[in-house]
Amino acid sequence: MYIIGENIHIISEKVKEALKERNAKFFQELAVKQVEAGAKALDLNLGPRKADGEEVFPWIVETVEAVVDVPLSFDSTNVVGIEAGLKKVTKAQPIINSTSAEPERLEKVPLLAKKYNTKLIALTMGKSGIPVAADDRVNIAIEYLIPRALEVGLPIEDLIIDPLVLTVSGCQEYCPELIEAIRTLQFAWDPPPAISVGLSNVSNAVPRENRPLINRVYCAMLMGVGLKMMIADPLDQKLRETIRIIEERDESTPIGRLYLRIADKIRDMQEITPDDIDFDDPEQVAVWKTVQILLNKVIYADGYLDQ
Amino acid sequence: MPVEVPKEKWPGSVRTITLGALPSEGGTRKRVVTVGGETAMPFMHFEGEIPNPPVVAIEIKDRKPDDWSPLLLETWKDVIDDPAQWAAAAEAAGADLIVLALSLTNRNGEPTSPDEAVASVKAVLRATGLPLIVFGPGQAEADNALLVAVSEATKGERLALGICEDKNYRTIVATAMANDHLVTARTPMDVNLAKQLNILISDMGLPLDRILMDPTTGALGYGIEYGFSVMERLRLAALQGDKMTQLPMIVTPGFEAWKAKESKVGEGVPASWGDWLNRAINWETLTALTLVESGADIVVLRHPESVKRVKAAIEELMAAKSLVS
Repeated sequence: MYIIGENIHIISEKVKEALKERNAKFFQELAVKQVEAGAKALDLNLGPRKADGEEVFPWIVETVEAVVDVPLSFDSTNVVGIEAGLKKVTKAQPIINSTSAEPERLEKVPLLAKKYNTKLIALTMGKSGIPVAADDRVNIAIEYLIPRALEVGLPIEDLIIDPLVLTVSGCQEYCPELIEAIRTLQFAWDPPPAISVGLSNVSNAVPRENRPLINRVYCAMLMGVGLKMMIADPLDQKLRETIRIIEERDESTPIGRLYLRIADKIRDMQEITPDDIDFDDPEQVAVWKTVQILLNKVIYADGYLDQ
Repeated sequence: MPVEVPKEKWPGSVRTITLGALPSEGGTRKRVVTVGGETAMPFMHFEGEIPNPPVVAIEIKDRKPDDWSPLLLETWKDVIDDPAQWAAAAEAAGADLIVLALSLTNRNGEPTSPDEAVASVKAVLRATGLPLIVFGPGQAEADNALLVAVSEATKGERLALGICEDKNYRTIVATAMANDHLVTARTPMDVNLAKQLNILISDMGLPLDRILMDPTTGALGYGIEYGFSVMERLRLAALQGDKMTQLPMIVTPGFEAWKAKESKVGEGVPASWGDWLNRAINWETLTALTLVESGADIVVLRHPESVKRVKAAIEELMAAKSLVS
């Protein structure tokens, strides 16, 4: 699993504070910590920075590249700010996160990716928003995102399609469709484009204590359909352990066998049934309930684990 | 050529809930009302049972309301100053249930006291033999103060007390538990929140067969499609076996429809809109019937003519059963 570390994100109060103070040490420590935990790239989400993007983006690039060598992912809608940052990059091939199929962004952002030889994350989102159905999302990739990349001469291996994870708390019907979108996208083009998602989005607006469980169960399901890259929290030790179990097919623990079975059954388009679960093990019961909400079979509620 | 009608077989069912208690059960009601029990989507008689037809409640107030349409004030003008007479008139107009909505202030503009609330509720109980739902004024502090007094003074009547919301439900649930009443649980058109509130209330120990859920709605033309989808989704989940959504649903189309411009305003609207009263009644009727079609078990209305039309339509929808069996 290629993890793009998500922790440098303006939604965190600490990040917001550190950015205000231009606290280089804070960002360097957070960058190193993520890379040491296994992040292969680092997402930099500092918000739109309309006023100071041309100063902030170069600053964060210099700050972070002073301590790590991994690719940096510019997670912003501020094209001018991104370009200022790209000019400062001296190490690995960077990533622009993101374009969508909205005409204005699709016009400008791929040109920037081409000009600076970056990878480009492209969201399956059009003028009228994010479609629910898997096929509609795949169609956005085939009809808009991939043709535009080819048109501007961006190599297909530098294009990363993001079929968009939405939260189980409020957009539950999108959760199973995303699984199918990932499945289908791998057959959408030859050679197939890379696929990445923002995993933690699945638990946005979920009480903090339940987020890691939902994230890792969904991760197991998405790995079942072949997900190999995602923006996620590399510091989540249980998430990393789940990824390891599935990658190494480690059947040495009951919970590990369950995660493997979930991934395998999703891969084979089979139903996960109560027979797969040891109902005497509370951890397995929690995983089972989480599978049910992620497949939109049971309506999500904050107290779903207590039901 | 014979046509095979595809049928859905649902594993779950909606809970059956009874409002009101007869003298033999510790109450004073002349009749009780049972809702729920469905094993199929609304009126899909060929797929399962609809054992209890949806019922119609009429909303009355403890005093003449300040903000109701002049059309409604005119309709109820002979009884509007006396909740007991109003309740009797509502029963005569065909109500299956009475909803008594307590006001924040009394006739003199002072905060309604618990004693006044109890007096209104008792007068209504004496005036009608129908089961009663009591809504607080809709402010947490006042709701709790008035509903606790009402609950204690009417122990055993199986009233439904409302409105429980996620910010304010504990006091109302506790008093309902202690005094053998039911509660209504309201959430703002959101399936996740609706289910969560049911979980929170049942966590306090109130049995699920004493909770009615109010997923709220908008009037025709004002977001009713969102309300419809939320109710449909909750009902589908219930039939699929999700026990925290298997509660009968109560909605207030009267309140919503009479807020809409089409009902509220008689002047300065296009002539093509037609007769005001007729339009307002149509608005309330169509709002209510749309919700009945999405799974409402109790619709709360305000105008007697709407009540008549909605009840007639429900009767026809239920009679369709004989066509398929």
